[in-house]
Amino acid sequence: MDIKTRDYIVADGNNNVIIFDIDGEIRRSDMTDATLHQLVKAQLERGRRDFLLNFEKVEFVDSFGVGEILASYISISNLGGKLKLVRISKRLYLIFQVTNLIRILSIYEDEAAALESFGKP
Amino acid sequence: MNDARLYRVLKKFADVRPDEVRPALFLFFQFFLITFTFYIIKAVKESFVIGVNPAWWPFADLITAVLIGFVIAFNARLLARLPRRKYASSTLIFFASNLVFFWFVFWLNTPQKTFPISSLLPLAQLSYVPFVFIFSLWSDIFIAMSVTQFWIGVSDFFNPHQAKRIIGFLVTGGLLGGIGGSLLTSRLAHLINPVNLILVCPVILMLMLFLVNLLHKERETTRAGSEAYQPRPGAGIGYLESFRAVLGDRYLRILAGVLASAMVIGQLVKYQFNFMVKAQGWDNSTQTSFLATFFLAILVLSTVFHLATTGQVLKKFGIRLALLIAPSVLLLGSLAVFLIPVSGLLVWACLIRGSERAFDTTISQSVRELLYIPVPADIKYKAKMFIDMFVNKFGAGLGAALYFLCYHALFFATYQQPGSNIGVPIRDLGILVVGFTLIWIILVWIIYAEYLGAVKRDLLRKWQDAHGVVKQHVDMDVTRLIFDTVQSREKSSTLYVMNLFQLVKREKLTPELMEILDYQENEMKARSMDALLDVGGEAFFRGVGETLSDKEFEVQVGEIMALDSFKLVMGKRLAEITGKKTATEVERMEAARLIGQMEPSPDIYHPLEDLLRDPSPDVLNYALGSAAVHLRKEHVPLIIPLLGNPMNRQVAQDALEAYGPRIEDVLRKHLQDAGERLEVRQAIPEVLARIGDQKAADVLTGELGRGEEELEQELIDALYKIRSSAPKVRFKPAKIKAAILSLIRRNYEALLAEGDGRAEGEGRSVSGPNMKAVLDLRTKRIFDLLALIHPSEDIVKAYQNILQGSKKSGDYSLELLDNILDRDLKTYLSPLIEDLPPDERIRRLKKLAGGLGQARP
Repeated sequence: MDIKTRDYIVADGNNNVIIFDIDGEIRRSDMTDATLHQLVKAQLERGRRDFLLNFEKVEFVDSFGVGEILASYISISNLGGKLKLVRISKRLYLIFQVTNLIRILSIYEDEAAALESFGKP
Repeated sequence: MNDARLYRVLKKFADVRPDEVRPALFLFFQFFLITFTFYIIKAVKESFVIGVNPAWWPFADLITAVLIGFVIAFNARLLARLPRRKYASSTLIFFASNLVFFWFVFWLNTPQKTFPISSLLPLAQLSYVPFVFIFSLWSDIFIAMSVTQFWIGVSDFFNPHQAKRIIGFLVTGGLLGGIGGSLLTSRLAHLINPVNLILVCPVILMLMLFLVNLLHKERETTRAGSEAYQPRPGAGIGYLESFRAVLGDRYLRILAGVLASAMVIGQLVKYQFNFMVKAQGWDNSTQTSFLATFFLAILVLSTVFHLATTGQVLKKFGIRLALLIAPSVLLLGSLAVFLIPVSGLLVWACLIRGSERAFDTTISQSVRELLYIPVPADIKYKAKMFIDMFVNKFGAGLGAALYFLCYHALFFATYQQPGSNIGVPIRDLGILVVGFTLIWIILVWIIYAEYLGAVKRDLLRKWQDAHGVVKQHVDMDVTRLIFDTVQSREKSSTLYVMNLFQLVKREKLTPELMEILDYQENEMKARSMDALLDVGGEAFFRGVGETLSDKEFEVQVGEIMALDSFKLVMGKRLAEITGKKTATEVERMEAARLIGQMEPSPDIYHPLEDLLRDPSPDVLNYALGSAAVHLRKEHVPLIIPLLGNPMNRQVAQDALEAYGPRIEDVLRKHLQDAGERLEVRQAIPEVLARIGDQKAADVLTGELGRGEEELEQELIDALYKIRSSAPKVRFKPAKIKAAILSLIRRNYEALLAEGDGRAEGEGRSVSGPNMKAVLDLRTKRIFDLLALIHPSEDIVKAYQNILQGSKKSGDYSLELLDNILDRDLKTYLSPLIEDLPPDERIRRLKKLAGGLGQARP
């Protein structure tokens, strides 16, 4: 799994979103240097609060991966930030649906719409 | 003087912000002029009233109590119909012309008059006493309307938290005005007839007219003014509407009760005082001068008291104590009347009335106005008018009625007869004062609880606790099992089926999930469990959906697993895998998973130990799951190191959580062991939080007290989790407070270092852009810790609204914190969380830093 970051500057300039482009599978056996949650925590320590996870190149998420996503969600939300997901596969979406994860994670099909949603209450 | 210079000057006297300078100054002078005028009128009026027979005294107050309602109704209509500026100007002109008229009437009764129209003299002399009562009523209307207008102005310009900061400054203006008015009266009463003092007042009112127009001009040009409540055009605030507003709100009813009790006491104390003044037999000029000097003394003392203590009392002790001071002192003072000899009663009367007035114009007045703050603006307008003008007068009227009854029923008049003395009415009235003071204290207790409730009602959560949200919507065990099931389908049909069995056993195989799993039904059919079992696989060749939805299948699963032959085959398979040095990762995963489904037996514990040492994170995942089933003590030392492995940390935490309280001591040792890997130590608090009992909380609190910054976040997160999930667990306040003060201290050091152009500490990367982020994270930790020793919902709401709320909700949050935090915490925390200009923040931090260094939990 490889994660690259991009910044998106929203119109008001106060609420910049950090985008994580994830490439590969978020699972135990594919762990690299830092986990998703560790990367998120590092950004939180730098004052970032709004995160978008781009799942376009994510093929699979295992139980470890889903734990990482939820741990990130908790860390971000408890500091008043937002975590959103974009372009997740249909298969993953179905599993998220079954496990009720879609009730707590905001999932978008389109990156522009996801980014726009950060500016809204 | 420009605004910046005004601000620099004013901030030496008041806690104002640059945009508050002009309205604060205008309101300061408005209150100054109101009280200046009033204290001239007050001394003259009281002297006139004392001059009449004591049996008539209550009539002056009763007339006011009865008639003021009509005046209120009329005033409410005026206020609703006229633009605020026009209303204020016209009432001031009206009051000024009235004063000229009163002067004329009373002047006709003075012996020095040289009035040419001598025909009016008998009429004026005949109506002297009624005019004293009319003047008394008029003065009450004047002060009530003027003060109401002033406080409405305060509400228009300032929100609750601003008002709390500035209110002390504004009240000082009122006190200084009263001192000026009293001083002038006491000096001039002997030089010119007290009646002629009335003529000074219209001149002051014209000055006030000018000031009020400046204030309204300011209001029209500021944002605060535009945001302030404006009555809708044509929306009248009638007497009934005001009455209903108070009657329909429990908080306002209690507030009215508090004020009415205070008024009854004030009235009774006034009669006690008047008896003593009348008993001296002074002429009108001496009496007026004495009264003015008495008021002057009260006001000087009040000002000193106010400047020295009001703000401090409110800041350090909060509203409740400030509310209780006046009734407590009056209670003790009133009880003293039964012990003091008659010769000392004039001094006692001066002291008791002096205390009553001093408290009324300082702490009580400030706190009373603060009590209106949580009331919604539209209701506040209606209620304030009713309470200030009607309830207050009702209280005064009730006091007068009680006096009237006592005067006749208890034969006060007999004090003038031989064998009796002035102490009789004073002490009889004292009994009533004691009774009403007790009622006052009870009502204060109730209103304080209501006040906090009202402040809290205005604060909403900005976001929910994410742990709670996840817990509410997602079953994490099942979610992990579902993801493992889907993953295992790609790795091993054996694992897949075992995971499916688990889902069936837990009744989590919903139709939706079956739909996802049916996706590869054919593949499933082909492989089934042939690799593992040979017990007649007929059941597994049916479609997954139809098979697993069958209730009978669930029963079959249980029966199969209970079969001795099944256990035998499983055991053989396990021995086969674990005995092979060349077992593949998938085989080891199968073995690890299998152990979790087997009956407890020494035969499986040793293989499990090996599997808990496996290098593959996927194998460890299943091995940890099985360890959580069998809960063998000897496995704990193997599980704990896995906490340091991010790939298995969550499952290792799950496994240790399953052991429960019996491993708390082991966890404590590892947590405290400085030689243990930091990653392992950092993962332990989460396990203790999930165990969540008192001992876990004590271990975490103890560790927090050791002050290891690397563990701080994890320890605080864990304690906060226990607070949320186990409300009965108690945290040691002294240790938590010490940790909070330590965090506050570090934020002080960082900000002061930045203010001095240095980074916080040597070698720490918290300067520059990271500074705010570090401070924000520490602030979050401070609030998480505060939630452990205070009502957590209040603390969370306060934190969220300070962070992301509107200015109003942020100020309400600060007000709430002011009332629930102890003195040290609120004193040292406030400069970190208040919205302050940077230089002001640094100034305050420097001022408090010394004390913070010595603060003890």
